[in-house]
Amino acid sequence: MRSSLPRTHLAGLALALLAGACGRSSPRALAAPAQRIVSLAPSITELLFALGAGPQVVGRTVYCKYPPAALAVPSVGDGLNPSVEAIVARQPDLVVLYRSPHTEAASRQLQALGVTTLVLHHDRLEDIDTTARLLGEATGHADEGRAIARRIDSVLAAPAVPGPHARLVHVVWDNPPIVIGGGSYLDQLTKLSGADNAFHDIATPSATVSIETIAARDPDWIAVLRETSDTMPPDYAKRPEWRVVRAVREGRFLFLPADLFGQPSARAPEAVAYLRHLLDRSPLVVPVAR
Amino acid sequence: MILDLVRVHFRYPGAPGDALNDVSLALANGELVALLGPNGSGKTTLVRVALGLYEPQGGQATILGRAARAWTRRELARVVGVVSQREDNLFPQRVRDTVRLGRYPHLGPWGGERDADRQAVERALERCDVADLADRWLWTLSGGEYQRVRIARALAQEPRLLVLDEPTASLDVRHEMELFQLVRRLVDTEGLGALLVTHDVNLASRFADRVALLARGALAAAGPPVDVLRQEIAESVFGWPIAVSSFEGRPQLTPLRRDR
Amino acid sequence: MKWIGMGAVLAIAMLVAVVLGPAHVPLSDLLDSPIVWDLRLPRALLALLVGGSLGMAGASLQSLVRNPLADPFLLGLSGGAGLGAVLAIALHLGGPWALPLAAFAGALVALALVFRLGLVGGAELDPRILLLGGVAVGAFTGAVTTAIVSLAEASELRNAYLWLWGGLSSASWATVRLIAVYVPIPLFVLLAAARPLDLLVLGDESARYLGAEVAATKRRVYLAASLLTAAAVSVSGVIGFVGLIVPHVGRGLVGVRHRALLPAAFLIGGTLLVLADTLARVAVAPRELPVGIVTALVGVPLFALLLRRWSAA
Repeated sequence: MRSSLPRTHLAGLALALLAGACGRSSPRALAAPAQRIVSLAPSITELLFALGAGPQVVGRTVYCKYPPAALAVPSVGDGLNPSVEAIVARQPDLVVLYRSPHTEAASRQLQALGVTTLVLHHDRLEDIDTTARLLGEATGHADEGRAIARRIDSVLAAPAVPGPHARLVHVVWDNPPIVIGGGSYLDQLTKLSGADNAFHDIATPSATVSIETIAARDPDWIAVLRETSDTMPPDYAKRPEWRVVRAVREGRFLFLPADLFGQPSARAPEAVAYLRHLLDRSPLVVPVAR
Repeated sequence: MILDLVRVHFRYPGAPGDALNDVSLALANGELVALLGPNGSGKTTLVRVALGLYEPQGGQATILGRAARAWTRRELARVVGVVSQREDNLFPQRVRDTVRLGRYPHLGPWGGERDADRQAVERALERCDVADLADRWLWTLSGGEYQRVRIARALAQEPRLLVLDEPTASLDVRHEMELFQLVRRLVDTEGLGALLVTHDVNLASRFADRVALLARGALAAAGPPVDVLRQEIAESVFGWPIAVSSFEGRPQLTPLRRDR
Repeated sequence: MKWIGMGAVLAIAMLVAVVLGPAHVPLSDLLDSPIVWDLRLPRALLALLVGGSLGMAGASLQSLVRNPLADPFLLGLSGGAGLGAVLAIALHLGGPWALPLAAFAGALVALALVFRLGLVGGAELDPRILLLGGVAVGAFTGAVTTAIVSLAEASELRNAYLWLWGGLSSASWATVRLIAVYVPIPLFVLLAAARPLDLLVLGDESARYLGAEVAATKRRVYLAASLLTAAAVSVSGVIGFVGLIVPHVGRGLVGVRHRALLPAAFLIGGTLLVLADTLARVAVAPRELPVGIVTALVGVPLFALLLRRWSAA
């Protein structure tokens, strides 16, 4: 749907959306779609490129590695503890930050220097809808933004997968054991792909648990995020205390590509399909030697 | 001879001058020798060299005929009991427990205390008149009582020689007299030797068999008090006008006023 | 007798640790459950060994440096261990034992550094320099660790910090066997130094006059206590407070003589850590608290209680 509103009204709409939805916005209005954007989160960078606004991105964090085209954009360092100097050196007209205590402070500093900032919640699937629309308006790619939002909405609105559901545990770290809980993006993807997160009852995005809790909940699969396509079981699979968990003993690991599953992404529908495919095919990883 | 220092030279590493210069001193059983001298004259250094803590650069320091440095600390602790100037007291302890530490030179790392050890502790407590304080906490004692307890600990080592470094430094008249009397009694009845470092020249004169007077690392005089504590010698060592009198046959030094 | 009492409390603590947990194991299944045999029991035993080692190391260190506030982690070892662990992750060293071995190696390097610093005044360890050196080495290694973590790109490195905060989740029979074989030697060395330690608290000179070989004793005690602490950090991260308050509890119960104090510190430290770990597993189930937080939360009121009793006495 092509917008017939003149550009200034577009920008006004963007500003209104900015002020209303996110609670933190720059007093300086965006007169026109942003042309020099610095993104301070990998998920934001990915979204900007998905909107077609890649050429407008002039700064990214050192962790922004997807899509590959993003690597050509100069890095301004860390995203969660930003260097205001490095950002300002890119002469941005819009800086998009992921909400955290450090970034609130950085945002204020940037505003004081006259830079428009946008501080976003970008943690769950619903957030992608809001962010895609917002950033779409702000970058002059409103159509693409709405399209992405619609895809996400349809994934969210899809009917629940009929049971029985496989039980899954996302293990982020082994010592101490950290698992993904019900408050997180990964938990949403898990549910949509027809599996149950064994730790859905924990409200926070992640939590430290005892190995015995994992063993007692007896998941069918252990999901691990991987940056490479390596399918060797993680090192802790050889440790005797972890082998009390049946899924570890039987080598039942699912390897999820980090760039697809690691952060809220416009490719969420692909991620759900990928995980469902893995579950349906039930591949067995190389069994761990005793 | 329990203690024998012969022409000892000692200089602290990196120091400009000698701390001890050609010092000779001998001490036998049943003798109380007082070591006197102004601050910095080398009294504590002499004790440390005599007890093998430092190696003299010249001369020799022997204990019971053997070089002081040749003794292991354990062997030496069975022969010499020392009440040093300073002691740390980190955690609260009872009197009996601190006196028991005196038996450690006789105990290995593992063995328990035997009857002989317990008896030595009780004897030491009695000899020093602190038996009735045995269950008290150290921090509840007066200065004088605490010093007697430390002497009891040294005594529990069952030594041949007692060395006391300024034991009465902050004690009042009564406690000072009690301490000197105690040391004298131990020397007389147990046959111990005692080396007493003190600033109290007059009490040293009355209680000691012999007196050694140090000045700037050298022995100004040594011998019976009446021979050492003479006006010319005292004035030159202490750098102050002194009047010498006599009490119970022993010289007493009275410093004169210079402000009138 | 006090010793029977301490033993009984420890036995009860071990029982509780094995019976209670975030996973529900009915009493009837207790003897068959792999959770009990392969997770809870080795974990309780590891807590006993680590807590006991920290307690005994703390007691001997407080006497060695003549400071009732000394804690084994003032020696800079935890900084070295953390650096070792972070380097192992950054260099992608593989294998299930890479992390504890690297941490141990890091702790040993820190130990060597502080030891060398402590000898700066002469042939004998100076307690004040040991403490200052420990703090300095700890701060330095901590800074290097932070730099590596913040500059490196792997998000795994951030999680390495969590390991350092302490926990017994890596407990298994293999770990228990390893520690059980390792700790008796330093424990033995400390027990053999019990009498010299009694003398050492009087001050170096007085200790010498009572027959202690001061320089040798200091070296032995420092090395043994550090080796115990290094092992503890390598398998369980930094569990603070145990090495600090357990010796004081021990002194309150059995007195200051190290022949009694050191074994008592072992029992009390072990009991405390077993109880703290049980609480860590159970208090916010299904989540788990870092055990170092629980030792502080349990230890502080206990310590305050003891202080009141002692000042009243």
